[in-house]
Amino acid sequence: MGDFLAQYGFLIVTMVQAGLLGLSLYFPLQAGQLSLASPGFYAVGGYVAAILLTNPAFAGLRESLGNGLFPLTWLAAALICGLLGLVVGIPALRLRGIYLALATIAFVEILRVVSLNLGVTGGAIGIFGIPQAFGFQDRWQYIWLFGPLLILTLLFARQLERSRVGRAFRAIREDELAADAMGVPPTRYKVLAFVIGAVLAGIVGAMSAPFLNTWNAKQGTFDASIAILAFVLIGGSRNIWGPVVGGALLTAVPELLRFLADWRLVINGLVLVVASLYLPQGIVGALERLRRTRPPRRPETAALPGVKGGTP
Amino acid sequence: MELSQLIQNLLNGLAIGSVYAIFALGYTLVFSILGIINFAHGAVFTLGAYFTYTLVVGQFENNGLLKGVNLFPQGSPLSGNPWAFALATLIGAVIAGFVAVLVERLAFRPMRARGADPLLALVSSLGVALVVVNLIQLLVGAEIYNFPSDAYGEVRPALSFQIGDRVVIVRTVQIIIFAVSLAMLAVLGYVIGRTKVGKALRAVAESPGTASLLGISVDRFILITFFLSGFLGGLAGTLVGTAFGVAGPYFGVTYGLKGLAVIVLGGLGSIPGAVVGGLVIGLAEAFVPANYSAYKDAVAFALLFVILLVRPQGLLGRVQIQKV
Repeated sequence: MGDFLAQYGFLIVTMVQAGLLGLSLYFPLQAGQLSLASPGFYAVGGYVAAILLTNPAFAGLRESLGNGLFPLTWLAAALICGLLGLVVGIPALRLRGIYLALATIAFVEILRVVSLNLGVTGGAIGIFGIPQAFGFQDRWQYIWLFGPLLILTLLFARQLERSRVGRAFRAIREDELAADAMGVPPTRYKVLAFVIGAVLAGIVGAMSAPFLNTWNAKQGTFDASIAILAFVLIGGSRNIWGPVVGGALLTAVPELLRFLADWRLVINGLVLVVASLYLPQGIVGALERLRRTRPPRRPETAALPGVKGGTP
Repeated sequence: MELSQLIQNLLNGLAIGSVYAIFALGYTLVFSILGIINFAHGAVFTLGAYFTYTLVVGQFENNGLLKGVNLFPQGSPLSGNPWAFALATLIGAVIAGFVAVLVERLAFRPMRARGADPLLALVSSLGVALVVVNLIQLLVGAEIYNFPSDAYGEVRPALSFQIGDRVVIVRTVQIIIFAVSLAMLAVLGYVIGRTKVGKALRAVAESPGTASLLGISVDRFILITFFLSGFLGGLAGTLVGTAFGVAGPYFGVTYGLKGLAVIVLGGLGSIPGAVVGGLVIGLAEAFVPANYSAYKDAVAFALLFVILLVRPQGLLGRVQIQKV
């Protein structure tokens, strides 16, 4: 067991972390909003934690709080990302489909360039020597942080879907104009969904900074946006398990392909192509269809209705 | 700002802006026909530069599977004078065009046949980009390759002229970039606006269903669009590579993202919009003050963000009416 954890612990935690990031993109998608902003909030959350844990300005705080500082970093990251999500979300969510996707890509890129150039974020080198959370000795112990967060998030997502808010999200996803006409205010719910995703990504970032030990501008890039989008689309965008399964699998694939050495990233790309061709509803969607003997209720091709290109 | 500085920035901005424009035209052509963004376009850009490099030099010294290969032991016939280099550039762009056609066949056509969601086409094209970029790295290594200065023969020296007491330096390469881009825009404008092929392309862009009823082979024109797109992307790759060196397999990623900013700024799917957007972003970047130059890469995205908020259809885009 010890050997197994020593060898695969890091990978397992990374898989859970990827699932959580997938879920952070899944929430806005529930309300029909394709947002690629998750890596931006993830990066901000990580910087908040890294600065609180290493910056000399907070030395007194660290001394008096001890291990209590770690939950405080999560809270601070959640608050800051929530506020940032509100500030970015209110104007940006007037946009639809591909336009919102592009605006959020721009948001992530701007954050990246800014964090590369600020003093407090450590510039291009970033922040290093971040202390391990709660004095953890091994990386696999982070499962005690990410695991409960995943369970809580999944429970929250399930309760949300059954609630009035979740039904409002679905109504907006299926037809925003009709939802509006029925008295569901689209803007308020779209911003709410966006902020939930931002808060989640921020907390994951704050937990990841000690996990990775260092934090720099590479954490929030366009590549990360796409990777997280792929988690959700390949896993399945219709079910809370989709982002988790997609995140875990797509994180594991390059590791399991390590014996292919240099070819693994090429194969990773091929996996994306083939999966988007043959699993239009994602892995979880395909499994669901296998399980059901009845014909699918929704047309197979409508993987993400409500997220359309075209009009801004 | 002094006059000499102003002119220097203007010239730099026009040169880089015109490359942005022809690169972004490839994006916008595909978007106007299929309504999707082809994320593999940045990878085709990189390929264009590498194809030309292969034709002009044909040696890969650093590492990768092609290490030590020397295609031209006697020196490349496509190097040594400006015309030979131009021919190599052209061939490189044509091959990049065929790669884009291949991308269409492998990643987009099967999607279209199934009527899949455009977002999945986006992921699929990203998968292709990942494959291409990593294949390049595998074959020739991650190092920077430079076009040798003797590849263009005699046109290497830069022009310079004096304004007041300052010297304005214009690199020959910048003039070539600007001239080639203008020529490409003129040719493309002619093809799309005046020829039968262009008319058919516009018809497909307007409504593929109606176009096919009128006897236009939609699939064939989509292939033509992808070829043109790849050709323009590959050409832009060589032009930028000539100016700055071929900066490794990830060369096209930044351009891929900036190209998005360009086409949104100009108006998604608008051909004149891509030109205006390219020039605006090129100029805006050139005028970033030297002590803020670290923020230069954010300029395009800041403009993109602002334009999306105030005028989402872009500078030259049409307002579309939301259908219920």
